[in-house]
Amino acid sequence: MSHTVLICDDAIFMRTMVGDILQQAGFEIIGEAETGVQAVEKYRQLRPDLVTMDIVMPDMGGIDAVREITKFDPQAKVLMCSAMGQQALVVEAIQAGAKDFVVKPFQPSRVLEAVQRVLG
Amino acid sequence: MDTSRYAELFLTESQDNLSAINHALLELERTPTAREPVGALFRAVHTVKGMSATMGYAVVAEVSHELETLLDLVRRGERAVSAPLMDTLFAATDMLERAIELSVAGRESDVDASTTIAALRSAAATSEPAAHAPSPTTTAKPRKKRSSRRAAASAVAPVTVVVTQDANTPMPGVRAYLVLERARALATVVSTTPDPSTFSDEAFAGRLTIGLDTSAPDDEIDRALRAAGYVADIAITRAAPSTNGHVATVPNGDLPDLLPISAGSASELAPARQHRHIRIDLHRLDTLMNLIGELVITRGRLQQLAATINESALTETVTQASRLVADLQDGIMTSRMVPVWQVFDRFPRVVRDAARALGKQVDFVVSGQEIELDRSLLDEIGDPVVHLLRNAIDHGLEAPDVRVTAGKSPTGRLALTAARDRSAVVIRVTDDGKGIDRERVLVRAKELGLMDASRSELTDDELVRLIARPGFSTAKQVTDLSGRGVGIDAVHARVRALGGTVDIRSTKGEGTSVTVRLPVTLAIVRSLLAKVGDETYAIPMTHVNETVHLEANTIRHVKGAEVLVLRGDVLPLMHLRDVVRLPRRDAGGGQVVVLEVADRRAGMVVDELTGQQEIVIKPFDAVRDGLSVFSGATILGDGVPALILDVSSLF
Repeated sequence: MSHTVLICDDAIFMRTMVGDILQQAGFEIIGEAETGVQAVEKYRQLRPDLVTMDIVMPDMGGIDAVREITKFDPQAKVLMCSAMGQQALVVEAIQAGAKDFVVKPFQPSRVLEAVQRVLG
Repeated sequence: MDTSRYAELFLTESQDNLSAINHALLELERTPTAREPVGALFRAVHTVKGMSATMGYAVVAEVSHELETLLDLVRRGERAVSAPLMDTLFAATDMLERAIELSVAGRESDVDASTTIAALRSAAATSEPAAHAPSPTTTAKPRKKRSSRRAAASAVAPVTVVVTQDANTPMPGVRAYLVLERARALATVVSTTPDPSTFSDEAFAGRLTIGLDTSAPDDEIDRALRAAGYVADIAITRAAPSTNGHVATVPNGDLPDLLPISAGSASELAPARQHRHIRIDLHRLDTLMNLIGELVITRGRLQQLAATINESALTETVTQASRLVADLQDGIMTSRMVPVWQVFDRFPRVVRDAARALGKQVDFVVSGQEIELDRSLLDEIGDPVVHLLRNAIDHGLEAPDVRVTAGKSPTGRLALTAARDRSAVVIRVTDDGKGIDRERVLVRAKELGLMDASRSELTDDELVRLIARPGFSTAKQVTDLSGRGVGIDAVHARVRALGGTVDIRSTKGEGTSVTVRLPVTLAIVRSLLAKVGDETYAIPMTHVNETVHLEANTIRHVKGAEVLVLRGDVLPLMHLRDVVRLPRRDAGGGQVVVLEVADRRAGMVVDELTGQQEIVIKPFDAVRDGLSVFSGATILGDGVPALILDVSSLF
């Protein structure tokens, strides 16, 4: 059975792109979230195998969302999606429970490697 | 990756973000100490940066990166929000917008952002303390302490692991942090070089030395740490530990205190955008619209056929089908409707820039943002409205000192309102400035020979007609913004082409109000069909006030011109036969259509009226070739083409 994924990003553009990369690799996108609050809610509802999480989002940022999700499910597998220059934030996200990260601009092969590491 | 298919999505989403940026900038300019706009700005710029980097638009990415860097300083309270800073931010936003548009158009090489980038860098480099203390929501910047040696030599480390990363590792420091996490999961970490608090520095060298207290075999350590990714080499030694002393201890579970920057928890700017929407290419809606147009024409034909055959079952079915077509038409029209804020959104910025450039103080109020208009109409109306706003600021509103002398508040009021009025949308720009100088207009009109030299006053109607004339401008000096002889006349021409009207009311010393009336939708209009000779003409119902039988005793002659006396009112009378250059009929009879444009009425004599119909406006090139009394053409239910009368051109 294919792995299920929840994509969290406030930009449709990014959600579409990450979604396409993962879908082509055989993953099943079962949900999308535009805000940190939505991400936490949807995680509780959908219990995906993998979450991709943008760092900068409205209402609740990605880092706080990771913290909430990990509190709810310590086994949650969250992959951070970061932009260049956000080193400090990514470290904070990892401290909050994120398992790995990818750096924009996304290259499909790198995204998939990171996903494998997270799920591995 | 082929990113071309994402270009459209990128563009729309970037435009949303640019709009959010402009809003936040205006907000910040009004309230320089507010924190929310800075968070919103940062988030929007950040999103643009991420998207553009993915699209490979290097210039956009660079500008947004520099903008983000500067905003980060502002967010942390290290740069005060000053007028020069605001100017830099506004200018950078404009550059960003241009760069995005050109990049999407495949002309990235045309963008020269060097000045903008230099300005952003210099603003970020200027060490100027903030005027206000950083608020509690902002936190310390990433540490730059290269040699934070928090502890001296650690306890004995039985296993030393040197991890070398791939040369092209993205964010090597953060990756090193993941290596450290893997090591912690496996064993007790007794030392780390360099100190983890320096990992997130840009200068992280890609090599990490970890001291482990573990009994795990080498291959297990090797496997565990490689799983962190981007590991080129792992060297494990079980010799005596290093005693150089430059090793920091990191007690397990007690993570180093690494810069908890709160990533934008500011409130959302435009809650309206949170509605459930899907994006549809406008071309698809246009295609549907054209199909509906054809369907409406076919329906007309079907109804005529059914009437001829007069068979009850057929008539009933046709009636039902007609109703469904009407519902479908309604549905598609509605799907093309968008609230005017989608275009009005950028106007506060336009007004701000114009006011600054002209040294005016303006209080700009927008209302009726939720009023909906057909998307293509809305796109068309943006520029004329910008023109009206600039005109109002340039020629309407006075400079602050002049206003004070005139007993007014130094800040001028400028209002933009949208409202729905029956099947029309009314957009009005009102200012409380000095009003149009009628004497000057009259003088100019006399100079141009448009007014009789004996006239000493102008009526409102005459005023409108004069200033709407191409090339008629009384601007004393040409400014950068308006007054180049393409003033209100350009607006007038554009609005008329859309089937709308412009009306101007102005009182000297009190202000000017320009009202633009537009049909809610472009493509399908209900029309009255009038016949002259063998030809049928369509008159849009928006301009039809009523129809009356032509009777000889209601016609009078005033100063040689025919007028119609209607319930005591005297209206000018035209003949459609004159308009289309056919000889008038000798026989009496006929009908008069009472036309109405912006509170003015006139009668139009036609041979006969043949009914009402929904007509679909077809593009009609002849309109441009001088036949200015027609706004387009249509195909009627019986398949016969008909010209559509441009009523406002007759007044």
